[in-house]
Amino acid sequence: MKKRGKGIAATFYGTGYGNGFPDVSKAVAEVDHDGNVNIYVCATEVGQGAKTIIIQMVAEILGLGMNDIHLISEDTSQTLDTGTAAASRQTYNTGNAVKKAVEVLKSKLLEKAKEHLKLPSLLGLEVKDKVIYLKTFPKKRVCFKDLIEEKISVEETFTAQTVQMDEETGQGAPYWPYTFSCYGVEVEVDTETGIIEVIKGVCAQDVGRAINPELIEGQIDGGFSMGLGYGIMEKLNCKDGEIKNNKFSKYLIPTALDMPELEKIIVEDPESSAPFGAKGIGEPVILPAAPAILNAIYDAIGVRFYEIPVTPDKVLSEINREI
Amino acid sequence: MNHISLTINKKMYSIDVEEDVRLIDLLRDQLFLTGTKEGCGEGECGACTVIMDGRVVNSCLVMAFQAEGSNITTIEGMSDKDELHPIQKAFLDKGAVQCGFCTPGMVLSAKSLLDKNENPTREEIREGISGNLCRCTGYNKIVDAIELASKEIREEKKE
Repeated sequence: MKKRGKGIAATFYGTGYGNGFPDVSKAVAEVDHDGNVNIYVCATEVGQGAKTIIIQMVAEILGLGMNDIHLISEDTSQTLDTGTAAASRQTYNTGNAVKKAVEVLKSKLLEKAKEHLKLPSLLGLEVKDKVIYLKTFPKKRVCFKDLIEEKISVEETFTAQTVQMDEETGQGAPYWPYTFSCYGVEVEVDTETGIIEVIKGVCAQDVGRAINPELIEGQIDGGFSMGLGYGIMEKLNCKDGEIKNNKFSKYLIPTALDMPELEKIIVEDPESSAPFGAKGIGEPVILPAAPAILNAIYDAIGVRFYEIPVTPDKVLSEINREI
Repeated sequence: MNHISLTINKKMYSIDVEEDVRLIDLLRDQLFLTGTKEGCGEGECGACTVIMDGRVVNSCLVMAFQAEGSNITTIEGMSDKDELHPIQKAFLDKGAVQCGFCTPGMVLSAKSLLDKNENPTREEIREGISGNLCRCTGYNKIVDAIELASKEIREEKKE
């Protein structure tokens, strides 16, 4: 018999290294004598979209098209340390470093333009498409190329705030900021085979501010799939320190047939310390899937599982025990 | 040593291959068609998918000499010079690529599916790519992309 059930789970996750560990990102922003905008960071792109959102942030601050920005990344001979692409920290930490550097660069450019245009004030000066102009009198203008004789380069550092927890009491504030998630799922449990099928998912994801909604959706899909595998499929089978399920024929991860269609709800609540309010979501999007699925299994067959993955053999042995 | 003749991406090849060379080794190491990726090397992940005589195969499970006389399409044969294939374009438009390692195999599985069934349901698309593992995307945007490509290809044919 096939039995259906629904479950929800809400989670929160602290991004960054946390627990007092130094969490530092450095970025360099420059405009060279040809007026080119170059950004140097070392935010490793693994497909999550770090490069895309960094370029988006620079474009927003400097009024440029994304193709006008030259991003130099992942080359340690040319870039400073921006820490690892881990702990869901690149958007927040490196994003903050880039934003700081580009904002300082922008104010230097405006200062130079003020002198060049012989203006008494910075008021009303705008930057767009590599031209600085006076908003109220746009003929008063100068392009980057004519403004800059020697390249202007700005290096900025962002250091996250984090408090080491008290070893005795476990008290402290290890992370800042936190990212919140809430998923609801519907499952169908086959009581004859023990196979669990996740047939629908609704994912509400707090992001602070959605710099790139399409990338966020992609992260939610991917995270849900990892969480689904974590909850009901993926088993390393460690024996005496050795991983027994060391190939895809034994270590099963979700295929396209295992993934349900997902309804995604992006929740925007800008974080005051974040670049444009945006927080990291890379790991947070994984977390609620497995507990939501386990709650749905309980709703379907009345069995509470405390260990993952809930594989068909475990489901069957619990059902048979009930009988 | 075997001497084989085959067609890869509409180009004829006549080439010597060792007995123990797999099709993926021939493609990558001898012909430098490195768009085909090797993932697991045991036919589970689909990263090395190519189309051989109209069927998708894992090129890690086919010996090179078995490809004698066959007609093979790899990811390098998908685009028409500088023009991307509608499936490739749809993958870009729908954000169906993250790390990209599974992408060549996904695109070829999609092509093989759409060659046989030009208007598949989403469930049929899922089945069509179920031999290709992806760890990043959760598949949904890949399904969206193949659905879009199917629409584009049908509209192209109408014109």
